[in-house]
Amino acid sequence: MKNALSMYWKYCFLLIGLLVSIEVFSQNQSSEKKSEIKELEEVLISNNTVQKRKKEESLNVETVNNSFIQRNLGGSLMQSLQKLPGVKTISIGSGGSKPLIRGLSFNQVIVVENGLKHEGQQWGADHGLEIDQYAVNRVEIIKGPSSFIYGSDAVGGAINIKPLPLPSQSTFGGSVDLTGKSNNAQFGSSINLFGRNKNWFFDSRVTTMDYGDYRVPTDVVHVYSYAVPLYKNHLRNTAGKELDFHLSTGYSGEKLKSAFYFSNVHTKSGFFANAHGLEPRNVDLELHDKSSRDILMPYQQVNHLKVSNTTSFQLGNHAFETQIGFQNNFRREYSHYVNHGYMPAIYPEDMYAPQDLERQYDKDVWSFSAKDEFRLNRHQITVGTNIAGQENAIGGWSFLIPAFTQFNAGLFAYDKIELNEKWFLHGAIRYDYGKIKMKSYYDWFQSPVSENNQTQMEYLQRSQDLTKTFDSFTWSAGINYNPGNLSLKANLGSSFRMPIAKELASNGVNYHYFRFEKGNPNLDAERSYQLDLGIEWNQQNWSFQLTPFVNYFPNFIYLNPTSTHDIYYGAGNQVFEYEQSEVFRYGAEFQTRYYFLKSLSAEIGAEYLYSEQKSGSKKGYTLPFSPPPSVLFGLNYEPQISFLKDPYFSVDYRFTAQQNNIVPPEKKTAESHVFNVAFGSKVKTGNQDISINIQIQNLFNTRYLNHTSFYRLIELPEAGRNIIVSMKIPFLISR
Amino acid sequence: MKNLKLLLGILTLAFISSCSSDNAEIDTEYPVIDITGANAFPIQCSTIERGKTFTFKATFNDNAELGSYSLDIHHNFDHHTHSTEVNTCETEAVKSPVKPMLFINNYTIPNGMKSYEATAQITIPADVDPGDYHFMIRLTDKEGWQTLKGLSIKIL
Repeated sequence: MKNALSMYWKYCFLLIGLLVSIEVFSQNQSSEKKSEIKELEEVLISNNTVQKRKKEESLNVETVNNSFIQRNLGGSLMQSLQKLPGVKTISIGSGGSKPLIRGLSFNQVIVVENGLKHEGQQWGADHGLEIDQYAVNRVEIIKGPSSFIYGSDAVGGAINIKPLPLPSQSTFGGSVDLTGKSNNAQFGSSINLFGRNKNWFFDSRVTTMDYGDYRVPTDVVHVYSYAVPLYKNHLRNTAGKELDFHLSTGYSGEKLKSAFYFSNVHTKSGFFANAHGLEPRNVDLELHDKSSRDILMPYQQVNHLKVSNTTSFQLGNHAFETQIGFQNNFRREYSHYVNHGYMPAIYPEDMYAPQDLERQYDKDVWSFSAKDEFRLNRHQITVGTNIAGQENAIGGWSFLIPAFTQFNAGLFAYDKIELNEKWFLHGAIRYDYGKIKMKSYYDWFQSPVSENNQTQMEYLQRSQDLTKTFDSFTWSAGINYNPGNLSLKANLGSSFRMPIAKELASNGVNYHYFRFEKGNPNLDAERSYQLDLGIEWNQQNWSFQLTPFVNYFPNFIYLNPTSTHDIYYGAGNQVFEYEQSEVFRYGAEFQTRYYFLKSLSAEIGAEYLYSEQKSGSKKGYTLPFSPPPSVLFGLNYEPQISFLKDPYFSVDYRFTAQQNNIVPPEKKTAESHVFNVAFGSKVKTGNQDISINIQIQNLFNTRYLNHTSFYRLIELPEAGRNIIVSMKIPFLISR
Repeated sequence: MKNLKLLLGILTLAFISSCSSDNAEIDTEYPVIDITGANAFPIQCSTIERGKTFTFKATFNDNAELGSYSLDIHHNFDHHTHSTEVNTCETEAVKSPVKPMLFINNYTIPNGMKSYEATAQITIPADVDPGDYHFMIRLTDKEGWQTLKGLSIKIL
């Protein structure tokens, strides 16, 4: 059955490949060149910059701007980017998600905002990326290993959120964004104010969001074997709210530019109340179902603060850039005290933590980086260094990972050689050093321990003082060839990732999945080797792109479900233990767009991924969260209407194949067919254009499961029909 | 142009050939906890007496090889849990625990078993709180697939 499916996909791709090659050569008709100049606030960035970057970069890079995000607005940044082939998310309810690039996520994908590596609690499946999507102007997605640029963690890829373009000289203005969503009764608003005289500028933003429980097209869900009724299709206690502040300010001159960035993202969101704790729970239905907007227990509260300065200056042939940054991630998880293992039935009065504070993580990160970019004949050379230190404290009555400190440093050199207009060569090397120091932790309660037929009560040790150091040498080599409309690229590179505290030393219960997770102090740094290819064709009315890759990990770090149970802290729950195994993966993304008329175009985006563990206790199995193959068919109509500017109407149909390639404790996921409709336009009003975007996601209120959702394990269907209306009203106070 | 066609061909071929992999059948089936047998104990709504020892009995099955199981008895005085069974049992009013019974233990299953008659002796101390309890059976197979059974029981 599985073989049949993979054969099916093989032939699909073969067929598409053939079709493409036939089409490419039969295309000769011409239509007016689409000159897509996008207005980004007050700055004009032409699409050519993006095209040029693509042609000169041997890794597979996708760039999207804020108008893409506006048209495809989801509950969180990553959900808005899901339309890109190879990019998926692990969603946590309606307001949070984390990136899943070609099946890799967690600490294997890094997120960079304004040049600063985003450090949250990304090891947790319940962690959503703390990024305000209204503050995002341009995002670059690197699908592939990029450790040589970003250091440890970028084995799977990188999401690089670029700094906002500077306001143009002598302006003072802003914009107001308003968003409403029907499914979870969400209201969001974001107000932006920016200004600049000749050299000094500021750009500020305040974003607020408030949403209720989201609705799913079912009235009962089966949490493992437990049936849970839902009230009016509401997913109990998944409401949330968000409040974000941003300010960037600084000086921009001819030779020197220095910008300070400050941001604070604060969210409070509930977890599905019936699926948290040691086992599926009964909840007080009367209390929970009284309002769909209240956030009761269990819930999480996350605050992410970032402060950084980026300074760049020109010295002769050299362009220097330095960055100093600080960030703090403070995450708390609240839940009713549930004694498990041999914890006392009644919460002690003199405890160090409040009774409802299940977990608390407090992370401080200081970082510094510097780089120098210069030209030497045909060589464009970049040398640089990054240094980062972090301190992690823990709190709350429950234990999963110990407190730890960490230090990382890296040195890199990158050379881009422009042989001529058509050929580019790339070479990069990097050396990294990392040290992680974990602190010991003892249970706050006693458990009975039997030795030689004698039973004693003891405070069990959950983690020991442990220091681990890692170092790594990584490299990357690539080539670009751009003859005319065609561009070809190839890249071969190695990447690495240092094991994290969770993988080395966790020793506690994961309350979302009712399992006991155990670290492994003997893990090596994860390595990855990947070959990336890219073939792209761009013509006036026709474009396509195919990006296959092959990837090998000699020692992928994997959380292996064992056949044993933990009888102390784990209260009889199944033990999952970190192991390393050889992993082989390959896949491809395919994108094409064809203009039937100047105003009418069709697009197809497809992705395929195969992963297999080649050794270890799960030999032959895939990796968790493997996205099934999917194809998106889209039809866009962009007519010329005199009183409107850039009106559009689009219909998308996404077919997602079944996923039978699973690993315990996953479940096979059936295929799904989902339709989305979007339309919108800009309306001319004075100098500024108001833009209005309307989307209907899951048009037919289809009940389907998403294999990579955080709630997939408990059989929770995806959100039902959702009408999203968003509006952007720019204004100019003076010019 | 010819080069392009060739390249496309090679690319497609490379991709197709990389698709073929040796796929030994992997186990994707969950083990089964069977408490329908005549002498299975406890079952939904069973009652157990304090100060006495009872014998847990159930039949476990798996398509490949069983792993291990754990048993856990904890109080349900706050009605926090419900069972995996269809029929519900009568419960007492909500109350606070004073000395609730707590039992957690894991048991091995001999290697290579596809079917296993599990038995275990469990003693209920005489001084624990009587009332509504929850009896959890967690069964794994060798590959790590797990099946749960949560039963409502009463300690008298």
